[in-house]
Amino acid sequence: MSKAAARAGANPPRHVAKEGGKDAMLKLLAAALLAFLSAAALAAEPPITIAAPQTPWFGGFHRIVDEYQKATGNTVHLEVSPFDGLLAKERAAVRSGESPYAILIFQVQNFVEFYAGGFLQPLTAIDPTFKLDPQVYTFDDTVYWNPATGRCERDGGVLMSVPVNPNTPVLYYRADLYAQHHLKVPQTFEQLLANAKALNAPPRIYGFVQRGDRGTLNIGWDFLPYLYGFGGDILGNQKQGDFKVVLNSPEALAALQFYVKLAHEAGHPNPASVTQAEVIQDLVTGRAAQAMITVAGSAQMDDPDKSAVVGKIDYAETPHAAGHVSVPPLGHWLGGIPHNLPAAEQKAGLAFLAWFQTEKAQMDYARDGSPPVRRDVLTSSLANEPHFRWMHALAESLQHARQPFFTKDAPALAAVFDLKLNQALAGELSPAAALNQAAHAMEDILQKDGYKTGILPDLKE
Amino acid sequence: MTAASGAPWLPVGRLRRQRGRLRNSEQVWRWAMMAPVLAMLTGLTLLPLCALLVLSFSNVTWRNARPILTGAGLSNFAALLHDSLFLTSVRNTLVFAGVAVSIEIALGLTLALALGAVRRGKDFYTTAFMLPILLPGIVIGAIWALMYNPDFGIIDASLGALGLPARDWLGNPDTALGAIVAVDVWHWTPFCFLLLYAAVESLPADVFEAARIDGASAWQRCRFIALPLLAPAIMVVLAFRAIIAFKVFDEVYLLTSGGPGTSTEVVSLTIYRRFFVEDRAGSGAAMSIVAFLVLGAVTLAVMGVIRKKRR
Repeated sequence: MSKAAARAGANPPRHVAKEGGKDAMLKLLAAALLAFLSAAALAAEPPITIAAPQTPWFGGFHRIVDEYQKATGNTVHLEVSPFDGLLAKERAAVRSGESPYAILIFQVQNFVEFYAGGFLQPLTAIDPTFKLDPQVYTFDDTVYWNPATGRCERDGGVLMSVPVNPNTPVLYYRADLYAQHHLKVPQTFEQLLANAKALNAPPRIYGFVQRGDRGTLNIGWDFLPYLYGFGGDILGNQKQGDFKVVLNSPEALAALQFYVKLAHEAGHPNPASVTQAEVIQDLVTGRAAQAMITVAGSAQMDDPDKSAVVGKIDYAETPHAAGHVSVPPLGHWLGGIPHNLPAAEQKAGLAFLAWFQTEKAQMDYARDGSPPVRRDVLTSSLANEPHFRWMHALAESLQHARQPFFTKDAPALAAVFDLKLNQALAGELSPAAALNQAAHAMEDILQKDGYKTGILPDLKE
Repeated sequence: MTAASGAPWLPVGRLRRQRGRLRNSEQVWRWAMMAPVLAMLTGLTLLPLCALLVLSFSNVTWRNARPILTGAGLSNFAALLHDSLFLTSVRNTLVFAGVAVSIEIALGLTLALALGAVRRGKDFYTTAFMLPILLPGIVIGAIWALMYNPDFGIIDASLGALGLPARDWLGNPDTALGAIVAVDVWHWTPFCFLLLYAAVESLPADVFEAARIDGASAWQRCRFIALPLLAPAIMVVLAFRAIIAFKVFDEVYLLTSGGPGTSTEVVSLTIYRRFFVEDRAGSGAAMSIVAFLVLGAVTLAVMGVIRKKRR
């Protein structure tokens, strides 16, 4: 072969290269078409979009959605937003002509608003055979809604949603420091304060860090274990239709006084501005010896890329006042399907929820770093593995956990609750004044909306 | 009888009719030209305002995914008189706007006058001064949140280097509003500077030259010539900035969300929460109407002062 021929072979004429390029292009297109067709053949449902919150447990949810896509071939898009933005988006979605989301993930203070407003399709209306797995927690029956009575009732109610996350607070404590200082896991608030004082060495480390910032159930959610743990409550027996405001009770006052005292004597110097992300940051950087936050934050404690305290944090139920029991608040997230969606997409949304509640999916969900919503998973052998040591505390907590609001005015009540607690923590109001003002504002909101309400006599300020 | 001017051969009555027709056709043409703008104004400004007004006299509930508006009379407005959060937010907004805008105009004017006297490198200085206003609010929030961070922020690190104690500027109720004012001053002083610099550049040089020859000092030229001539421009900047400052939202939302306590709560944030978080549209609309009226009053007052100055 001549040099020229060899050169021609190495660099084929332009038209030959073009034809080769065409062939390659055609093959590529054929392969892409084949891949598309096989994916379409595998996918049993149309693509859906889920409106999801930017939360500490979102990483695990994202991974489980990926697993769902791999397992079923169905396509799921996630649209992730911060708390406030998510709620506004979801409201706009269900109040418009057609929702862009097939599944709404909403926090528990918003569920009555979505149920009572007629914004969600009952899951059994999409598929009459669909049932919540008996192993899935019903979280104070917040997954059911009885439109006739306007209450969350299993009997007579319809299934409206599937729990997505059991967002209950537990006590995080530095087990290594407890051992060094010969401290015991606190059962009561007084023991908690004593431990916090023993570990408090600011600015190197704070004995206890609280989530004191204001939002809609930020500081409020942080305060609820104290309120319930002192025997107090916000409203009367809501499930029986009693919406009397009982927040300005002596028990609530004792709880708030203790909460402020804990902050001042062993806490962060400016607790009224500390967010949940900052509490987690203080824990993983070793600046907080103890905190009571959502169990979902545990995923970050043992992440060597994020945490300086890997393996050093342990978990327990939230403490209580002497003579009372531990009662953390429920703060779970629910997944529901909008009413204003084509039937095929509603079915596709339900297909995801049905898959999500299975034992295998929930085991994977837990391994992916999110607390599961199934009892059998939470009490499985997984809980005995060191990485999942938070599961015992969560399982215990869920036995007594209480739902704070059963009213569609929950967002407005939560805003008032947060505002007044934050003012008390910031020193703008005395605890008694904060509770009195919150109670009056709550009564006003409930009265305007036609609830059977009332109020206790004012606390002495 | 014929007309004295115009078309003398036409009878007066006919001329009048013709003029009337002409005037009518001119008016029709004028209205036709303005119609698209008027339609846009009605559609984009007046109708939403009317809807807001209706909403402010109503309570909204949702049933079967449909809104139900019930008349609330003046109750939403009356409730604002006892709404401590709203009243605090109005007070904070006025303090914020008053302090921030005063500092921004003073700094902007100083920079404009100083740059007016500079002979070389004006373009460089103008570009450098303009940088903060080019940044989006979200970036400014992120930058300053990091700078104010008590653990690793540059502000506390600098104070530490000087032997001064670190402070949680945004977390302390005593310093939070001041810290946000500082961010706003950094952000908006370039805006004041830009408008005032344009005014400074258009000042008549001969007047200053004459004053200088007559022996007026630099301070006297500034006090008795520049400032009176710049007064209308200053008032316009004041009006613009007061309106924008009264609507402050992004800086507060990103840096403190209104806290700690209510120390940085501002009107826009309260309205946002009432509408979009608490879902109390009637109350939120009443707040919006009050805020709109306050802003309208401020604007009218400033415009009145400007008109008076011009006269």
